[in-house]
Amino acid sequence: MPGWTRGLPIDDIDDKDKDVLKNHYIERFVKGWRIFIRNPVGKTGVGILAVFMAMALASFFLPLFDSMYDPMTGIDPAITISTPPSLTHWLGTDNVGRDIFAQLLEGAKVAFIVGLSSAFFSIVLGTIIGMVSGYAGGWVDACLMRMADIIMVMPSLVILLILASLFGQFNIWLIVFIIAIMRWPAVSRVIRSQTLSLKQRPFIEASRVAGASSLRIIFRHIMPNVLPLAFLYMTFRVTAAILVEAALSFLGFGDPSQVSWGMMLQWVWKSGHMFQAPYWLIPPGVSISLLTLAFYMLGRAMDEVLDPRLRKEGQS
Amino acid sequence: MHPNTLRTALQLKTQAKLTIHFILLAGMLTLAAFVFLSCQKTEENRFLKIGLPEEPRSLNLWLGTDANSRKILSQIYQPLFNRHPETLEIIPWLAAAPPVFDKEALTYTVTLRNAKWSDGSDFTSDDVLFTKTLFFDFKIPRYYSKWKIIKKVEAPDAHTVVFHLKKPSAIFMSRVMTAPIVSRKEWESVANEALKKEKPLRSLQDHAVEAPLGTGPFMLTEYKKGAFIHMQKNPHFFGKGQTIGGHVLGPYINDILFRVYGTSDVAILALKKGDIDYYWWDIQPGYIKDLKEQDNVDLYFNKKSALYYLGFNVRKAPFNDKAVRQAIATVVDKEFILTRILQNFGTPMHSIVPSGNHFWHNPDVRKYGNGKSKAERLKAAATLLADAGYSWDTPPVGPDGSIATPSEILMPDGNKMEKFVILTPPADYDPKRAFAGTMIQEWLRELGLPAFSRPMAFNSLLDTVKGKHEFDAFVLGYGKLNLDPDYLRAFFYSKNDKPRGWNMSGYKNPEFDRIADLQRTLVDTSKRKELILEMQRMILDDVPYLPLYNPHIIEATLNENFRGWVAKVDGIGNIWSICVLKPVE
Amino acid sequence: MRLQYIIGKLIEIVIIFFIILTVLFFLFRLSPGDPISKVVDPMLTPEDMKHLISQMGLDKPMWEQYLIYLKNFFTGSFGVSFHYGEPVSQIIKNRLGWTIILFTTSTALAAMVGVFLGKVAAWNKGSRIDNIMSISALVCYTLFIPWFALLLLWVLGFKLDLFPLGGVLSPELWVGNTSWFVKLIDLIHHMILPMMTLFIINLGSYLLLMRSSMLSVLREDYIVTARAKGLGEKTIRDKHAAKNAALPVITSVGLSLAFSINGGALTEQIFTWPGIGRELIFAVSNNDYPLAQACFLLIALVVLVANLIVDILYAWLDPRITY
Repeated sequence: MPGWTRGLPIDDIDDKDKDVLKNHYIERFVKGWRIFIRNPVGKTGVGILAVFMAMALASFFLPLFDSMYDPMTGIDPAITISTPPSLTHWLGTDNVGRDIFAQLLEGAKVAFIVGLSSAFFSIVLGTIIGMVSGYAGGWVDACLMRMADIIMVMPSLVILLILASLFGQFNIWLIVFIIAIMRWPAVSRVIRSQTLSLKQRPFIEASRVAGASSLRIIFRHIMPNVLPLAFLYMTFRVTAAILVEAALSFLGFGDPSQVSWGMMLQWVWKSGHMFQAPYWLIPPGVSISLLTLAFYMLGRAMDEVLDPRLRKEGQS
Repeated sequence: MHPNTLRTALQLKTQAKLTIHFILLAGMLTLAAFVFLSCQKTEENRFLKIGLPEEPRSLNLWLGTDANSRKILSQIYQPLFNRHPETLEIIPWLAAAPPVFDKEALTYTVTLRNAKWSDGSDFTSDDVLFTKTLFFDFKIPRYYSKWKIIKKVEAPDAHTVVFHLKKPSAIFMSRVMTAPIVSRKEWESVANEALKKEKPLRSLQDHAVEAPLGTGPFMLTEYKKGAFIHMQKNPHFFGKGQTIGGHVLGPYINDILFRVYGTSDVAILALKKGDIDYYWWDIQPGYIKDLKEQDNVDLYFNKKSALYYLGFNVRKAPFNDKAVRQAIATVVDKEFILTRILQNFGTPMHSIVPSGNHFWHNPDVRKYGNGKSKAERLKAAATLLADAGYSWDTPPVGPDGSIATPSEILMPDGNKMEKFVILTPPADYDPKRAFAGTMIQEWLRELGLPAFSRPMAFNSLLDTVKGKHEFDAFVLGYGKLNLDPDYLRAFFYSKNDKPRGWNMSGYKNPEFDRIADLQRTLVDTSKRKELILEMQRMILDDVPYLPLYNPHIIEATLNENFRGWVAKVDGIGNIWSICVLKPVE
Repeated sequence: MRLQYIIGKLIEIVIIFFIILTVLFFLFRLSPGDPISKVVDPMLTPEDMKHLISQMGLDKPMWEQYLIYLKNFFTGSFGVSFHYGEPVSQIIKNRLGWTIILFTTSTALAAMVGVFLGKVAAWNKGSRIDNIMSISALVCYTLFIPWFALLLLWVLGFKLDLFPLGGVLSPELWVGNTSWFVKLIDLIHHMILPMMTLFIINLGSYLLLMRSSMLSVLREDYIVTARAKGLGEKTIRDKHAAKNAALPVITSVGLSLAFSINGGALTEQIFTWPGIGRELIFAVSNNDYPLAQACFLLIALVVLVANLIVDILYAWLDPRITY
């Protein structure tokens, strides 16, 4: 079991000690961050992420500069075919005269939205279900975990395709929601086993004897202890979510009113520019890989921060 | 066994396998390279190699109604009459001469050619009788509804067939006589078996056809599912050496190989590389620049008998008002759609019948914004709306004639117009229609109309528009319209306004209905033409559909091995090409 | 005790299987449209469509269709595909072979190479080799499959002209009198590119898994003991550590099946490989309910059984796990 869970559970402490405790957490965070940033993998990850975040932010400002830089509806009046990079269009234009760079920026924004929010929802779901399942045990546990099994064994892309035909057309939030639904089981399993071991601890037993309700025990006592692990998982979920959204859009099941990297690839593919316009094909593909890579690296580095044993190995 | 022993065993095995696999991989690579070189030399046997975008559905004629099955089956099963490739007139094919029409008795007498089925047995009038029985017994979709006008069919001798009609019909030649004829020998026992089943049609369609028996230029030799279809010349083809439709028919090639490519990009790479001679599918304009630079590739641009249009739901507000529809027709910039979305490979459309169909096309329908500048179009549309009682707080065109961003339009009763949605197919299904939807939305907003374009999965789109009628407007199209304009009746006839019916707009006009019924009974084409032109004029006045564009069909062939493709409306992929294509010496 | 556990698991699988079956059945039928709603052909009248729908048995109430489906299922019939008009079992038989060939070879190869490289990376943790390997494995892991597959096809299949552009065989070789040996080589020649795609994508995850598994094994007490005993580094690495570290990797092959099907379907589509994944996507978009359901159930069954085997293996191999 990772070392950080051996720390003091916060609810054993009286209210007056809370401030001390807060400082303790900040200290731990700062210490963690120092270790994290010393790690070359983490550093690279954060670096790439920063670039993409800047791109995502820039996507808000570019259309203000000139309406032809609107990623969806902006059209350069002078251009009617796909053109290679130029001064006005740094990455060229697509076949109707829209700016590819603007679309790439917009894609970064959408990737962050899809990745982070679906990861967040799946972590929330997974954590709650994992805690409830681990804490309650018995048939509740059995039912929830079998449900997790069913969802886990399903090829998510195929399920998404079926749902796509069920809903007619996805919008971006529906995609986020469905990815979250598909991805909670792995998280909930980890959280459940974590909860199972926490349940045996004396302080849980003590608060139960003191008359705390199950809900209170789960949210006040167990949750703070499983949260770090949940956040670690979140970084990995982000990777998966971005890839799934891209694949879905590429296959034509994405949100058509929303520019995303997968959608860009789909346009380049369907308009017959796949092998004619490398300036259009390469940027979104590379971006997908790089961003997912960055999140994955972040997770790896965080893993080492959270698990002191790994750290020792790394430093020796 | 102790776990540790197993682990050791597993590990040893892993390493051994690892080595073996590396050796295998290396060996495979060398061998593959070897075979590749040897393949290059053995390509002496001249196959016509054709790429398909999808696996054909079935070799069973009654199930294989999709575009790709038809590409195979239309080489096998033949109709009595066919369209001339250039004039598009209906000319005898399996029939020996044009039919003799008896006005009094309402009969068509057709003489048949001395044709043979591909197994060598004779093609006779009995096969035509059998085909008719089959259509009626199973109510075969597409054919039965057209053949219903036949009272009975008689066969006075082996090469004469007499069709007795219930009433005069304008579409007899174009719809009835162009149905494929099948042989009694191939289908009789299958049909008898199927008729005993609970679901006769389904049983007939699910019958596995190994070797379809036809009269066409080619016959099926081998079908390896998922890999290829091999067809060989039919030695008994009736057209061999004959001049039909202005062409001396062959076929001059012995073998055709069909294979599937999962994506167009790969198929076009295969074409450039010389793996296939022809990719039987519409090519996106994006490829053209590159393909034009290839010396070994020829490009063909042909008109399509197609209709891409914006449809309105005239059953409810706001599109139950003709003025709104006309205003929209005025602001839609067909020139923009042509240059940007079609990249100039197409024609703007002004009437429902495409201009390529010269005989039936009406060039004198109302053309709304055609030829006007953007400002003029906006003004004209705003005037149309203002005259019908619509108003704006800030109108799109000021009193001094200046263009402004309008506020939301108010209905004649003073309320705001409710938001409406323009449904389009998704971009992967048809990027052109999806993008046209987005542009139309922008143009309508310049007029203050609260338009929202929304792509929808194709199944759901048709279900919503055609099945449930729960929509405001939509962009759809017909990629392959029949050359006979009877579809005008199908699209706008009031009785077709029902779930799954083709009158998706819900257009109702008693006068139109009357003319539509009348033209069906006119055997005299020039009289019928007047009515067809009148129908187009009526539709374009009322605009339940606003025709948008008609894309060209763009196709590419390899010119190294075979030449002589016959270009016609809808492209070079047709039976004429197959019959006259010659190997390059 | 163990037998009981296995029986319990089996019963569980059967129940889960039927839940999936039922959910799928209704999911497909509730989705808008039907097998013919995609047809845009003015020749097809509303009466024709009604006729076709009733011939497919889709005009009956849904519960009745469900009962018929269950009845057929228990008599071993998956029905007839709406699209191909062929028995579903025959179509699956036809397609499954191709998928199995592609999947097993690429997975086995990826697992073996992954285990080997992961071992080396973990053993040299922190070194340049480790960093290069980890980063490239991460890149493999995050590659966008269709994009990568098309790029591979373009470079190796078209520009360098080393491999065929998709498909499973060269028709012109197969219609003539060609020896079986040449045919076999032709098949292998066609298989290399799609296999390479799947191999590279799987390799990343196996390498990473092996690396972390190896790292945790290296911290175990018995490795320390082995070192104390003065055993050679190579012996410790290969005989003691890698042996135990490879176990979770091998078992994860079964667990990763569901993931592989996602990537497999996309790869099959791009390389025109007539496998089950491509057929499934096609069946779903065509509303070909019987075929889509059967493909899906098959995948679910395989994954469930693979999971069971992994569970049993673990219970059997690791004495610490008791059920």
